[in-house]
Amino acid sequence: MNLISGVNVTASALNAENIRMDVVAENIANAYTTHGPDGGAYKRKVVTFESMLDPAGSGKSTVQVSQIGTDNTPGSMIFDPSSPDANKQGMVEMPNVNISTEMVDLMTASRAYEANLAVIRNARQMATKALTIGH
Amino acid sequence: MIESLFSNPSYTASKVLMDATAERHEAIATNIANVETPGYKRVDISKSFTEAFEAQVKSGDSSVAVPPATIEEDPDAGTQRQDGNNVQMDKELMAMSANSLQYDTLTEFVSGSLKQLQMAITGRSA
Repeated sequence: MNLISGVNVTASALNAENIRMDVVAENIANAYTTHGPDGGAYKRKVVTFESMLDPAGSGKSTVQVSQIGTDNTPGSMIFDPSSPDANKQGMVEMPNVNISTEMVDLMTASRAYEANLAVIRNARQMATKALTIGH
Repeated sequence: MIESLFSNPSYTASKVLMDATAERHEAIATNIANVETPGYKRVDISKSFTEAFEAQVKSGDSSVAVPPATIEEDPDAGTQRQDGNNVQMDKELMAMSANSLQYDTLTEFVSGSLKQLQMAITGRSA
């Protein structure tokens, strides 16, 4: 048994939530990028999680990022003939990033991160308490 | 005295329950970690352990066999969300607090029993 129980599982979740926050940051940063490396407007990225049996052999389900996919829904077209990315009609495709959606995602990720930290804190308290047996 | 302390049903039961509580913490940690994983089902301490342990405590006979506390899927978990996950964060956090309070209580009890023994040996409290 681990002294601080469940630490592998919680660590994997912290890592997964961290990656999710990175992706949200990337989406927000690119909310107005109309010209990506492939020439088109930026497409928002989406993280999906999957559980996986703990590689350390505890038999618990750890979390990992299964894939960072791309959301291919078309972005809105705005009329801006002065933009170098404008097409013949003067329309520019904006990224399909919705700041509100991203903010909600960011908050969810950060709350989940906090919950996992609370788990670690609790486990540490339990371990400390066990060390006081007989004192 | 020593014999009777270490085979005292409450003392042995506390030890078993402390292990189970530590195991339960792992189960809750796994649930909280997987709160966003689609299709994940919440886990908890096996029913067979809880029932056997209750039977042992009620009978007061510590020779009644109790299987070790293992983690398995919780059949009584509430409704699942659209993504097939049935973890409810607030419930897990509550369970975690209750569980660690239970652990603290058990620790106090085991500690108290040992202190009693120490007092009997030395004639004074530590």
